[in-house]
Amino acid sequence: MLTSHTIKNFFSGTNKLERLWLMAKIEFKLRYYENNLGLLWALLKPLMDVAIYYMVFKVILKSDIPAFASFLFIGLILWNFFIESTSGTIQILQTKKYLYEYSNMNKLEIYLSTLMSNTIGFFFNLIMFIIFLNFIESDMMGLSLLNFWIVPLFLNLFILSLAMSLILSCIYVVAKDITQIWQVFTSGLFFLSPIFYKLSLFKQALPSFEYANPIAGIIINARRVMMENNLPDLELLVFDFGYAIFLLFVGFILLNKLGAKAAEKL
Amino acid sequence: MEETFAIKARNISKTFHISEDSHNTVKHRLFNLFNPPRTKYVPAVKSMSLEIKKGECIGLLGRNGCGKSTLVKLLAGVYPTDSGYVNIQGSTMLMNLGVGMSHELTARENVYVSGSVLGLKIKEIDAIFDDIISFAELEQFVDTKIKFFSSGMVARLGFSIAVKAGADIMFLDEVFAVGDAKFQEKAVKVFESSWIQGKTVILVSHSMDVIRQYCNRAAFLKNGELKYIGDTGKAIEMYMEDNQ
Repeated sequence: MLTSHTIKNFFSGTNKLERLWLMAKIEFKLRYYENNLGLLWALLKPLMDVAIYYMVFKVILKSDIPAFASFLFIGLILWNFFIESTSGTIQILQTKKYLYEYSNMNKLEIYLSTLMSNTIGFFFNLIMFIIFLNFIESDMMGLSLLNFWIVPLFLNLFILSLAMSLILSCIYVVAKDITQIWQVFTSGLFFLSPIFYKLSLFKQALPSFEYANPIAGIIINARRVMMENNLPDLELLVFDFGYAIFLLFVGFILLNKLGAKAAEKL
Repeated sequence: MEETFAIKARNISKTFHISEDSHNTVKHRLFNLFNPPRTKYVPAVKSMSLEIKKGECIGLLGRNGCGKSTLVKLLAGVYPTDSGYVNIQGSTMLMNLGVGMSHELTARENVYVSGSVLGLKIKEIDAIFDDIISFAELEQFVDTKIKFFSSGMVARLGFSIAVKAGADIMFLDEVFAVGDAKFQEKAVKVFESSWIQGKTVILVSHSMDVIRQYCNRAAFLKNGELKYIGDTGKAIEMYMEDNQ
């Protein structure tokens, strides 16, 4: 079996985790420490995004969602993680060619380390969100044990992003157009995800659409556990894990079929 | 028995498809719907089988364009094969003038990333880090990005990493041209002491002296076919004949 071969190859090493962590740290450092403001950007970016959407939807369009800034905040950091891990990695087989061009390194590690680096960024954002929700916009509920549900939800997002990253970057090997196509697709998906809409409006306009859009389900559930003191919608959670695992399977097949040719084609 | 083989390749072949005029845009494709791009097939490696034992030093001989580099990339697991299979035991590293280093990273980061890719633990890299840097004569540039290095400095760093860290199976494609005479002398010395003893080496070279000196076996390639593998002297003879 193609996929089982990839996975078996992957876990049969001793310094793998160490290496992944090393590469993730360097990747993270590369992204932020180059700039004059450094790590501050990782913190400023989501705040500025929140400010823009708050301006548009609260000040101008007079949205009546309570704790709207936090509502946006959690949606945007999840969305940004997805975008950074998919759009940001389409060309990964080209930019990280130096890693596999001269050795028989498993390509999956390149993806995992980049996503781990994004996870570090997400972790900072999540801490900021929790501080923001509890100390600045504190008219909502406080901390609760239900918040820990964010871990499986994030795992779901991680698998989904890894899967899309694999699929897109492998298609990139044979069709460079995927960069543009994915750009259009994600801007559509952005407006079809309940990032700044009231959930009831979203459900009314697009009934059952949250089952078709895996990102929507993750955002809805994240708000339930982080802001609404509620259990996640388990049916939605199962659906989204299903999507993620199915796409991951497709991603592995593509990595074996197309990604393997990256050294000669790119 | 299985354990003593470093690389086992059976019936491997590789054909490159090179399209002469590429239809890169949709418009171009539509206009040329009934005029598909002509594709040239270049059979770089025709069906060959070989086994390389652990600890062996094998020379690869052949004229330009006979498929040496493609064969090396197939055996190193960089290219997938079109047919047959390659069974590789351990990590591989392919060295020609440059090795895999990112120009965006500093010398220090490159040492750690490369060392780790070659299978070392962080602690092991810590232990040999100073050796690598001093061997490459780059003490003053440890935290400089290598995009600011001269090509000689990059090559020396790559060579030092390979010498000190080294993968289980090393593919050396004309590597003795790095650095000045003094560096080369140093390089050859370490090459003899650390690679020839204990590692599996596949050596590609046009220098018969190098091949004769180090290789227990040699393979002679012609037009993508493995003509001979075995005694070094015989392979060199065949290569010399081919050059006539």
